[in-house]
Amino acid sequence: MRYALVLARRALREGIRTPEAIVPTLFIPLFFLVVNVGQAARIFPGSSTQFLHGQGYGAFQLPSSLLLAASFGSAALFLVEEIEGGYFDKLRATPVPRSAIVVGRLLAEGLKSVVIACLIVLLAVIFGISIASGVLGFLLLILLTALWAVVYSGYMQIIALKTRSAAATNSAGLVFFPLLFLTPNFVPRNLLTRPMEIAATVNPVTYVMEAMRSLILVDLRWETISLGFLVVAIAGAVMLAVSVRMIQRYD
Amino acid sequence: MSFGGGRRRRTVTERGQGVVERAVEADGLVKTYRNRKDTVEAVRGVDLRVETGEVFGFLGPNGAGKSTTVKMLTTLLTITDGSARVAGLDVAREPDAVRRRIGVALQEAGLDPRQTGRELLDLQGRLFDLSATAAAARAVELLELVELTEAADRPIKGYSGGMKRRLDLASALVHQPDVLFLDEPTTGLDPASRLTVWDEVRRINERGTTVFLTTQYLEEADQLCDRLAIIDDGRIVREGTPAGLKAELKERLGLAGEVTLDDVFLDATGRTRIHVEGEVQEVGS
Repeated sequence: MRYALVLARRALREGIRTPEAIVPTLFIPLFFLVVNVGQAARIFPGSSTQFLHGQGYGAFQLPSSLLLAASFGSAALFLVEEIEGGYFDKLRATPVPRSAIVVGRLLAEGLKSVVIACLIVLLAVIFGISIASGVLGFLLLILLTALWAVVYSGYMQIIALKTRSAAATNSAGLVFFPLLFLTPNFVPRNLLTRPMEIAATVNPVTYVMEAMRSLILVDLRWETISLGFLVVAIAGAVMLAVSVRMIQRYD
Repeated sequence: MSFGGGRRRRTVTERGQGVVERAVEADGLVKTYRNRKDTVEAVRGVDLRVETGEVFGFLGPNGAGKSTTVKMLTTLLTITDGSARVAGLDVAREPDAVRRRIGVALQEAGLDPRQTGRELLDLQGRLFDLSATAAAARAVELLELVELTEAADRPIKGYSGGMKRRLDLASALVHQPDVLFLDEPTTGLDPASRLTVWDEVRRINERGTTVFLTTQYLEEADQLCDRLAIIDDGRIVREGTPAGLKAELKERLGLAGEVTLDDVFLDATGRTRIHVEGEVQEVGS
């Protein structure tokens, strides 16, 4: 773990020194939030829409923005750069466990995501959205976002290690968009058409989104929250196992 | 023969009456790449013996298998067949132990452009188990050694090619390795920077580190190496001291004039020489 922390510190420094890679992760999710609210807020007025629990439509859309912010996976692009530039081999020539090289980046990605998620939620609160589940709910919301960022970065790192190509890694990252739109993104699951409801039900992102949404719109609903964390834990374990296997077999 | 450092453990092989200490020992080293269409044999049974304390040159044209061999010896590539021991340790069975005993500066100066020179060396020290204080002190020492103290706190992306090479060399020395692998350390450098790297290599070797150097520059091999091997098409085609190889060629072909390492290389690889302007000589098919 000590090596992973040393490498995480370096990855954080790398992120801070590349603001052009961080700005879009903040700007684009906020842009989508504003656009989606602008397009649909009048259809779903807070005063008469039951699933909004008295809040505006922005509160319903906030989880989508948080998930989007956590799904950029820029760490994987830095990894490809490192592979192409030879620094990755330099790290592999050190006696640190291979897993530390992967975990270091994921830790940094989780921490970056904490900061970005806090900024997005803070901005949302400034514009009138409240976190119905209080301080504990806020912390769980940030934690869930950060864990999702780790999961998604893990997936992107696998692609980076497999393809060693920035173009391929970037393209693979776009898989998030279908995953995001096959969720109860605009309305709750029970209001979706039957095919979309089935797609959303089999899509793991749905449960993360619903956990986030319950934290924002209603109080601590543990059943929904724990399902979101369970999905993240399972996906995280799979990603970590595959990532470590990939780096150990890297040739 | 001793090069300091009681922690050094060596491969000791009885050969006749003497005792030979080896830094690198490879037997029948093979590397095969398989893809969907075909199989490529990059290295086809390389045997190598590098004695402790030597500067050993590993020469060959582009694509001959030099870098692949180095990557196998430095644990960065799996070995398809054969075996290798570095600093007395089996590369395939004890890769982490081998990594603690070797320094590696590969063909592309493998540096993180967003870090400063000091940060890079400091991190490298931490990854080799130095404490924060010891790593910082070692970074200062190495920055002085490679004359980068003034540039220490500047991002590496602003360094010149020569500065990057020197920093890469320094990063390979953080943990005072027994065997230093340098893969084409002067490729792309101007003549002045090349001479600086040569001086560093000599200094490092004088301190007791075995140097395994791959290069395409025959003059470099002639200047630096105690012994050398030439690899072509994945196989060792010549091995010996520069003087010995030249003398052998002169005698075998009955040449009257002075024989250079270029002649040895061309004879060994069956290639033709193309002179280009400047000091660099390139050899092509």
